[in-house]
Amino acid sequence: MAKHSPVTGRYVTIDVDGKEYKVFYLHNGKGQPLICQHTAGCHNHQWRGLLEDEEITENYNVIAYDLPRHGKSDPPHNTEWWKEEYKLTADHFCNFIVKLCDALELKDPIFMGSSFGGNVALQLALRHPDRFKAVIPVEAADYAPGFYLDWWHHPHANAAQVCGSGVWDLMAPQSPEMDRWLTWHYYTQGSEAFKGDLYFYSVDHDLRDELRNIDGRRCPVIMMTGTYDYLTPPEATENTARQIRGGVYIEMTDIGHFPMSENHDVFRVYLKEALRIIRERTDNN
Amino acid sequence: MKQDISSWAAKYESLTNSDETIAAMAKYYTCVFMFDMEQCKVIIEMHDGKVKSINTDPGPLDAYDFALRASAVSWREFSQPVPRPMFHGIWAASFREDLKIEGNHLILMKNLRNFTVQFELLRKSGVPV
Repeated sequence: MAKHSPVTGRYVTIDVDGKEYKVFYLHNGKGQPLICQHTAGCHNHQWRGLLEDEEITENYNVIAYDLPRHGKSDPPHNTEWWKEEYKLTADHFCNFIVKLCDALELKDPIFMGSSFGGNVALQLALRHPDRFKAVIPVEAADYAPGFYLDWWHHPHANAAQVCGSGVWDLMAPQSPEMDRWLTWHYYTQGSEAFKGDLYFYSVDHDLRDELRNIDGRRCPVIMMTGTYDYLTPPEATENTARQIRGGVYIEMTDIGHFPMSENHDVFRVYLKEALRIIRERTDNN
Repeated sequence: MKQDISSWAAKYESLTNSDETIAAMAKYYTCVFMFDMEQCKVIIEMHDGKVKSINTDPGPLDAYDFALRASAVSWREFSQPVPRPMFHGIWAASFREDLKIEGNHLILMKNLRNFTVQFELLRKSGVPV
């Protein structure tokens, strides 16, 4: 008897700002849509633990997609993308997510993302508060400079290993060795996109003067950061959440910047609390 | 208790040379780096994944490709079995603590996978400061 996972994958084609993307996504579960963005330079396997989490998928329809240029989502098929440097912008990132949610006909989805996915969650709360039931920015902050580096695709080094090992100590030493090496493995696969993703993360994303315009009562914002995250340290997330009306900050002990892929068993404890808060704040809406 | 530097060097060499993760991709892991621990300095020469030499008394003209410099306090934190946040790697400590990475960064990046593994062996060897 074959040991099939309940997780299934599909492709959906969407047009975003004139670019045609055939987007790959994994999904499992039923009920409230929970759409998940992987971290920069990575892909949707980062959410493998959540996708197979029986307790959460009992009530949540978990969808984890590959952003174009990552995993099984190709670069756009209708443009000569190889003739220009890839630099992800906040505008395009947000437009993509809304278009994908529309194509999948997701009603009031909760959006969750980590790292650059967490930063775009803040952008969505600012730009599209009525399109999402709530957002869960993980390892996010209003501004995250310093990681838009040439080293990620320097032609004289092994870019795959630089990306894999360059993010190694974004993870906590307590996280299981297997999960940390799997995360390393994912990162070796995404080196061509990593730097362009980080253009959004460290350059184009800057909400320092916009946090007051995010209304966490209209679109709840539940932020979570691990204590071993040196890139977006806990104080950066806490400081961000404090400036958002109704913003919530949850500190995750003994975990790092990739909580869902480095240690799902720890991450899920905090995620369940975030989902409980969202239910509490939105059940009467 | 502070370790004798020669004993430390022998232990670190042995741990490196017997590490299976380094051995799995040892070929071409060849570079020379300095650990500047404030109270002492060592220069470690790697060749194809093995320690060729550890110079525990480097002179002013002894060469290396890149150096990691931090306070003795930081090196003691790096060597804890489970380091505290921000002392758990060279990126974390250079972004948030007093670690300075100097010299030819490209050589560090060329060897980053194995160097990262080898740096974490300090959690088993301890440090001589």
